[in-house]
Amino acid sequence: MTAGTVFLRAAAQAGYYGLMTQLFGPQVRGGEAAALVQISTAPIECQPDRFDLFVALDWDKVEQFAPEIPLDQSSTIISNPADGAVPASIAKSKARLISLSMNDPGATRLDKALRGKRTNMFATGVVAGLVGLRAENLRIALAQVMVGKNVDVMEANTTALAAGIKAATALELGFKLEPTREMPRWLITGNQAIGLGALRGGVRFVGCYPITPATDLVEWLAPELQKLGGRLALAEDELASINMTLGASYGGVPAMTVTSGPGLSLMVETIGLAVAAEVPAVLIDVMRAGPSTGIPSKTEQSDVNIAIYGSHGDAPRVVLAPMSVGDCMTTAEWAVYLAESLQSPVIVLSDQALGQAQAVVDPGLARPKPLRRRTNGVSPGAQFKRYAIAADPVTPMPRPGSPGYQWVGEGLTHNEVGIPVGGAGAHVAQINKRAKKFDQFEPGEWWGQTWGQGDTAILTFGSSVGPAREAAQRLTGAGRPTRVIGLRVLSPIPRQALAQALKGARRVVVLEQNHGAQLYRHLLGNKAVPVTTESIARPGPLPFRPAEIAAHLA
Amino acid sequence: MNDVTATEAHCVRALAAKDFMSGAHPIWCPGCGDYGVLAGLERALALHGRPPHEVALISGIGCSSRLPAYTNCYGFHGVHGRALAFATGLKLARPDLEVITVGGDGDGYSIGGNHFIHACRRNVDMLYIVMDNRVYGMTKGQPSPTTEPDWDSEIAPGGIGLRPFNPLAVAVASGANFVARAFAGQPDHLAQLVVEGIRWPGFAFIEVLSPCITFRPEQFDWKAKVRHDEAMIQNDRAAAIAATLADDGFNLGVVFKGERAAVTKPSQPIAPLSDIERQFTVGT
Ligand SMILES: Cc1ncc(C[n+]2csc(CCOP(=O)(O)OP(=O)(O)O)c2C)c(N)n1
Ligand code: SF4
Repeated sequence: MTAGTVFLRAAAQAGYYGLMTQLFGPQVRGGEAAALVQISTAPIECQPDRFDLFVALDWDKVEQFAPEIPLDQSSTIISNPADGAVPASIAKSKARLISLSMNDPGATRLDKALRGKRTNMFATGVVAGLVGLRAENLRIALAQVMVGKNVDVMEANTTALAAGIKAATALELGFKLEPTREMPRWLITGNQAIGLGALRGGVRFVGCYPITPATDLVEWLAPELQKLGGRLALAEDELASINMTLGASYGGVPAMTVTSGPGLSLMVETIGLAVAAEVPAVLIDVMRAGPSTGIPSKTEQSDVNIAIYGSHGDAPRVVLAPMSVGDCMTTAEWAVYLAESLQSPVIVLSDQALGQAQAVVDPGLARPKPLRRRTNGVSPGAQFKRYAIAADPVTPMPRPGSPGYQWVGEGLTHNEVGIPVGGAGAHVAQINKRAKKFDQFEPGEWWGQTWGQGDTAILTFGSSVGPAREAAQRLTGAGRPTRVIGLRVLSPIPRQALAQALKGARRVVVLEQNHGAQLYRHLLGNKAVPVTTESIARPGPLPFRPAEIAAHLA
Repeated sequence: MNDVTATEAHCVRALAAKDFMSGAHPIWCPGCGDYGVLAGLERALALHGRPPHEVALISGIGCSSRLPAYTNCYGFHGVHGRALAFATGLKLARPDLEVITVGGDGDGYSIGGNHFIHACRRNVDMLYIVMDNRVYGMTKGQPSPTTEPDWDSEIAPGGIGLRPFNPLAVAVASGANFVARAFAGQPDHLAQLVVEGIRWPGFAFIEVLSPCITFRPEQFDWKAKVRHDEAMIQNDRAAAIAATLADDGFNLGVVFKGERAAVTKPSQPIAPLSDIERQFTVGT
């Protein structure tokens, strides 16, 4: 992974855009892994149809990764002769094979024993040399990645890098990239971007329980929250983490919990509580392949149903999905504003493919306007009615500690004051009050985005937006104009904006990465798309690739 | 998150128990022990001296968990079993508030048992009061974790046949910093323990014997069985556990006081967000 990180960082230094996806074997730590790195002069938001270059540091259990590393006859494989023949799963691509001894030429046996082989840095040097990155960019990238390592380790790695660059000069493979200009960019993972967006939105409390692929998000957040005077609480389970989150939020501090499918399943009862008691909360679900424990480290978009509908009773809430690694920042920040201003749980459906991808993005993305919680607007003296039925369904929730406004948050059906009652009147009135918040909700420009204006429309969300856009570009280029509609708001459905985006589309296809066509059914059932709308729905963990989507639509 | 309003435990005029009453009429059966707990708690809050708006009462589900709305404090009546987690989040985010969790033995020891253990471990500075009636009252009389093995009920004819859970021993073993037992029929004694528990640093736990007169009418006899036992043990958890395991469940008073440091308050902000963002920049 260090190899991929150093390479991506060096490319970013040089002014290229890039995306790195990581593949791990089933064991939790160590063991075989692969870093898939793409670099380009234009932003990259999906995995490619094929890779140009495959560098094997060894062949250990490579067959498990083969389906995720598409190679073909025009790809090139570089491997160490000492590692033996190319395994069949890779060789069947018929890619061109180049043998290159990658062992650190200068390393003594003692060096190797003490510091490991520097094969990975040597290989990084080779690849960087082949695409034409400058040694200076690599040196800076290495220093940043190795920060805190001792001088010896640093030196050994630098030597290996230089040796790799030198070795590349002997190979002429035609991988030189077009030159580009150095630009200030951000290198960030989707999980970090969610964390940063949440901090920007004002989140200062996070309740969580570790779960792949969301753990790195909270591990990044914990120290940063401390710097901002906030805190992360490591709960005993997700039942606790979401309730801690609601507790902090009840206290007036914008709060968030972070999880993946199994954790979200445990949280469902308390999501209903947040709806009924009208407590703001942001829930991040970094989706992984399910159901049950599924494939912890691999992606899928199959939590749409539980996010939108998961609860007993009528429990409307907001469900959002970021459309790219960079958009994770925007969507998370906006999620906090919506939770606070609507006094509602807001679920953000990210996924492993976005969350654990590291991307080079432009830093100056537009930011949503801050929206705050209503805490005042009640006249002191009269009995305070936390759940008043009034013109505005969002009623003030004074911060505990404010004299004269004591109120009890209530999950039972309650009257306007918040006292539990069993009658039909209050039940219907409060359900209508809460429903009204979402009926009135107007997402404005943040509902989602349309790219292109072809009469075929691919309607999709999350990590499927990137490959859909690439496919649409190709189709359009081939004389079949195709637009992509990415939904940032999955629920409540942004009807007006969606109708506008669909105008003139003669063929509408909903694209999603789950078997049950969850988004398609949600949109069709709500009559938000024409009855003739088609569905492309298949489970993960393999990402959609542009060619797959284009072939479907052809 | 520290831009708090009033925080100090001072008051302009002495508070009375009635300052903490909401006036809402409890749904409890006449004679339910929980009335005594409510009365004792109101007296305790008056004695403690922080005004109602600085106190937050958090509960789960059950007859006993209805208590917060009967007071004039801030409060939250959440889902079954999760009150301690909610209270933990609240207290960590708002250390200036007096956070008190209340509930039943089903809520706290059964569905919420894991949170009970971890709240003791975590040692956040708050108080937990369990109204233990050794039965699920709200669902009309099923055996709870503290029910005697031979107690006959519809759902467990002839008795559940399980060893009762010992909440005090578990609390001491799990790290609670203050552990006591009270009786709903002695609200003044309860009030004293509550004040002491609130003021003791760290996680304080008070198990209150609170009869369910409807489903366990035999608990009416508890008032004759309880006795005061001032044999409080300081710091020696093993000795305190041994004492609680040996008693018959009717000794009232403080069982254990520890000197574990409570969870610290959050730090003051030391960096602006722009500093945090800088780690992502690459290039010129
Ligand atoms: C998730 C869930 N399961 C079950 C219930 C039903 N239920 C409500 S109260 C209760 C038990 C209450 O017993 P306890 O906590 O001892 O309180 P008491 O009523 O005796 O005061 C149960 C099982 C529920 N509300 N939620
Ligand atoms: S059922 Fe029992 S616990 Fe519930 S209110 Fe009646 S007496 Fe109290």
